[in-house]
Amino acid sequence: MKTTVRTVGQVSVVDLSGKITIGEGDVILRDKVQELLDGGHRKVLLNLEKVSYMDSAGIGELVAVFKRAREKGGTVKLLRPSGKVEDLLQLTKLWEVFEIFNEEAPAVGSF
Amino acid sequence: MAAATTVKIVFGSGVPLVDFVHETTEKLAALAGCDEEESLNAAIAVREAVINAVAHGNKKDPARRVEVHFKVRPGKVEVRVRDEGEGFDPASTPDPTAGDNRLKTTGRGLLLIRAFVDDVAFRYREGRGMELALVKRHRGRKPAALTHAASA
Repeated sequence: MKTTVRTVGQVSVVDLSGKITIGEGDVILRDKVQELLDGGHRKVLLNLEKVSYMDSAGIGELVAVFKRAREKGGTVKLLRPSGKVEDLLQLTKLWEVFEIFNEEAPAVGSF
Repeated sequence: MAAATTVKIVFGSGVPLVDFVHETTEKLAALAGCDEEESLNAAIAVREAVINAVAHGNKKDPARRVEVHFKVRPGKVEVRVRDEGEGFDPASTPDPTAGDNRLKTTGRGLLLIRAFVDDVAFRYREGRGMELALVKRHRGRKPAALTHAASA
């Protein structure tokens, strides 16, 4: 999985592409968000548009970064999950836990 | 009638072969006649069963094996995932979608398995470990667990 980070105002937008799965994608996600939190960034928007799939480990890491950010007074929100990723967020009822947006501007404005 | 195609994958408990098993499942499901989404769904379920076998059944002990047995027939793929662990009671696993369980970082494997295949059966092989038997059929429609997700 690949990640790039953009800053839009005070929000760190993390563009993810590939799969968030056990042993690789989940670790990359964890490390990237931790890096942002350690750097004092508290507003994180994960752009899932190009994430094709997550397994239970990837979903677990999504929850973990959400909790870690919250512990530091920050927030993690999600942008444009689609296809199988959207199915999985619905199935696991995480659709009700995260704030999820289809467009970036309102997502950034919501922080 | 042509003989069923069977494939067996055996490996020590570790993560590196999870992707290989996932990809093999997709290909074999397609061979059975499953469409692209059905094949991916079968692979998702098998992947979770394998992760459970590695992490929970075999406690990531590389000396303990995971066996994945595939049987492919027209319209159907059957997969048995076996570990060498102490077994568990699937009925006693907490619902990961209930209340505060949603904020747990683990515990979703069985939910995904049940959602993405047609039949799931658990069997503890006394002294030899747990077996999950999964069946995925070609139906040409989305699994029921996903069709009402948007309205949940």
